[in-house]
Amino acid sequence: MAVTREQIQHIAALAELAVDATAAAELERQLTRILDYVRQLEELDTGGTRVADERAAPLRKDEVVADRLDRPVSDFGAAMRQGLFVVPRLGELGGGEEEP
Amino acid sequence: MSDRRVLAALTARRVRELEDGGAHAFVDWSEAALLAQAGAPVSPAGGALAGETVAVKDNICDLTFHTTCCSRILEGYRSPFEATAVRRLRAVGALVAGKTNCDEFGMGSSTEFSCHGPTLNPFDAARVPGGSSGGSAAAVASGAVSMALGSETGGSVRHPAAFCGVVGIKPTYGRVSRYGLVAFGSSLDQIGTFGRDVASAARLLAAISGRDPLDATSLDRHPLPPPGPAPASLAGTVIGIPREYFGEGLHPGVAAGMRRAMDRFRDLGAELRDVSLPHTKYAVPTYYIVAPAEASSNLARYDGVRYGRRVAEGAADVRALYGASRGTGFGPEVRRRILLGTYVLSAGFYEAYYGKAQRARERIRADFKAVFASGVHALFTPTTPTPAFKLGENLGDPVAMYLSDIYVCTANLAGVPALSLPIGRDQGLPLGGQLIGPMEGEAEIVRIAQALERVVGGAEEVR
Repeated sequence: MAVTREQIQHIAALAELAVDATAAAELERQLTRILDYVRQLEELDTGGTRVADERAAPLRKDEVVADRLDRPVSDFGAAMRQGLFVVPRLGELGGGEEEP
Repeated sequence: MSDRRVLAALTARRVRELEDGGAHAFVDWSEAALLAQAGAPVSPAGGALAGETVAVKDNICDLTFHTTCCSRILEGYRSPFEATAVRRLRAVGALVAGKTNCDEFGMGSSTEFSCHGPTLNPFDAARVPGGSSGGSAAAVASGAVSMALGSETGGSVRHPAAFCGVVGIKPTYGRVSRYGLVAFGSSLDQIGTFGRDVASAARLLAAISGRDPLDATSLDRHPLPPPGPAPASLAGTVIGIPREYFGEGLHPGVAAGMRRAMDRFRDLGAELRDVSLPHTKYAVPTYYIVAPAEASSNLARYDGVRYGRRVAEGAADVRALYGASRGTGFGPEVRRRILLGTYVLSAGFYEAYYGKAQRARERIRADFKAVFASGVHALFTPTTPTPAFKLGENLGDPVAMYLSDIYVCTANLAGVPALSLPIGRDQGLPLGGQLIGPMEGEAEIVRIAQALERVVGGAEEVR
């Protein structure tokens, strides 16, 4: 079963991934080939198989702890003001003033 | 000059020689960083890894070097924290030599899907080192470092270990903390170790293993003990030979190497038993549904706002910014897997693909459980169906690339430990044999591997 161009564009939108026309054509071919291959699982009768994770995760105490940082938080932003990171405004894409 | 400074200077020289030769195993390293580590105070008692230098795959966070997962989207990223595995190996005296090349976010079997370009196989520069931890395997094979960390989601330590003629261990899921390992497929991911011999890889594993409260999936166990001496006999040991790993597609040179290794096991007194893991043929299809599904979720955070390089030029709104940042920041294999994962999780397809794959994974787990319950101590299989393939050979056909993982991804799906060790060469190229153990059976497969290594010789000099 072939993956269509419309399906590629739909899943690209779901995945927030810009895909141009050339890449979409290539992806149509490649995803069709991969899905044809993985569809051999259809022949496996998995009726009655219960998916159960036997590895019970050890529980930890309900407590709030500080973020574990090995360097001060100011090391990780291009700029800081009043203890906050200065980042580009999302409302002014493509070259707005930087505001905290 | 202290012993540690001498070791740092010597390691820097070896890494420089390796990189000047065009191997491209390292993506971030410096002599200054090595010397700075060597100058730091150490415990007077030394440590279990004193005198060892360790290279670290570029998807494992540390404080000295960049952590880019060999992806353009994480260009320039420095982690604000250190992975538990790196913290532990440094605490016992090891020097971290630098970060190694890999397929982007660990997605690939050749190290060709790195934004930095491929690593070359140390035995033949026209061939791939395997992947995704190809840089770590090549760094150990060349002798630039004595040990390395890699990571596995579907065989990414054992596969390059086989192609580069070194030892690679994938521990039981939960044995090593995933804290600081950049997530790809969280139910499959594990940090693994490389060494030039079984004992080295096992010593590094012992140093980084054990419960970590920072990883909720970490097993509540004490660290593994270091390996003992290689046993002279394997009398009383039952080694299963699963027939499904010796079928169509197995390269004749690999098959011949396996027959020779099986003869050595018999010489050592082990009982070889024909066994079956009937759902093996479904492992690659299952893996290539489960892993991309988890990847599509884990990699959603790289959008140019929360994480990752931002591409805002020409973006009219924030969704266009996300799309442009992700579309240009991720390479072709990562884009392919994100889209594949999104497809199999999308409405109308979820049950047919993801639900089915989850149930197939249970069958694969049950196969292993049954065979180990029958009295088999370990399974012996080829690590890869072929020796190292040529650069570019599988780039045009994703399924051909995925089939290179056919013998290794089963252990990740089942969560069991496995290792690859050198079993000789075919036309100059290294061959890898794989030992798979039951859950938490690392010590047993290490013991069996040490016995085989003693009679087949282990890693050889590259040139």
